[in-house]
Amino acid sequence: DALLASRRSYRSRPTHGIGRFKYLLPKEVPKKRKEKVQMKEISAGTEYQYGDINIQMTSHDLCLVEHFAQYVHRLCNRLSIRVNESYAMPTKTNEVLFLEERGSKMQLDAVLTTHQRVVQIRGLSSTFAPILLEVIQSSQPEGVHLLMKQHTEADFKSRLKARPELEELLAEMS
Amino acid sequence: AESMTPESLPPHALCCFSSCSSWLPQRVALRGSHWQSSLLGFRTSLPVRAQPKKKKKVDVKKEQAQKERMKKKLKKLEKAAPELIPIEDFITPLKYTESSRVRSLPALSAEESERRVLLLKKWCLFKQKQDEAEKKAIKALVESQQEALRELQLESEELYQAAILRDEGLFPFEREGPSYTPPLPAYDPPEGKCIDITKVYTQ
Repeated sequence: DALLASRRSYRSRPTHGIGRFKYLLPKEVPKKRKEKVQMKEISAGTEYQYGDINIQMTSHDLCLVEHFAQYVHRLCNRLSIRVNESYAMPTKTNEVLFLEERGSKMQLDAVLTTHQRVVQIRGLSSTFAPILLEVIQSSQPEGVHLLMKQHTEADFKSRLKARPELEELLAEMS
Repeated sequence: AESMTPESLPPHALCCFSSCSSWLPQRVALRGSHWQSSLLGFRTSLPVRAQPKKKKKVDVKKEQAQKERMKKKLKKLEKAAPELIPIEDFITPLKYTESSRVRSLPALSAEESERRVLLLKKWCLFKQKQDEAEKKAIKALVESQQEALRELQLESEELYQAAILRDEGLFPFEREGPSYTPPLPAYDPPEGKCIDITKVYTQ
């Protein structure tokens, strides 16, 4: 008790701050905590505004689809449309086989990769939506498939890894 | 008489069978049939108390323990946060990082570099004109739309309110990109199939 009471700071005395040492140690960087991947709230939108909309661009050409996604993102920024997220969906690889003219064996033709980029916007007003659609359509490059739809939980879940053990256990429990 | 089924034959009808088994001592009551297991008559059994109940207890405990183990496993798995599937586009393949071969580009002549700079400037100007045209087009579209809505409001308030409401049939909207050439009229594609070989990631 007496020890605790004697911790008064005599600021006029030369012994002020005599026990300090933490300022001499190197600064500790706070540990980076892994951010949990959580689904953000999906807004439904009002009568005059659309909720969360996904603009999905799919193509076999990677650079083209990337540049188009960047263009759409910048366009939305310029038109002051709020962009929630701009992410890439996992690539799908397809092996294309074709039947030879004379023969029954399937021959490997090519290995095609399909890339998809998604730009998620919120708060698109009902009067501006057709204008935006028109602009994006006019600048759509060749071979890029455009799809605009409402954002759902299923869309978010398709980005996550499958957990077969968890599903098995859940099936067993119920 | 050998084609017997347990359910169909009543026990007392098989006295002939029991008489064949001569090793049975006469003291033991003649068992009606070999389907009747207890020494008592048909459809009666000794009051058995101890064993079946023990079995039930052990079963219930085992089941409870199993359920708890499953619940613990479930909790552990649920604690782990779900991970996003890694995107192969953003991972540079190792073969491009390992090798250390460097290309030496030839030196450009003055005319060539001049030509390139002028081309770049022309391209910048072209792109700027394109961008400005797009902005102008958007502005014109928005203005004409606003004017139309104003006129509509002056005409009838009901129609104006209906026009402002959002269109449910607009989404989902799908459109294929334009192609370089139109499809060939009488093209017979070879038969084939597509196999999906995307790598499946599990947590």
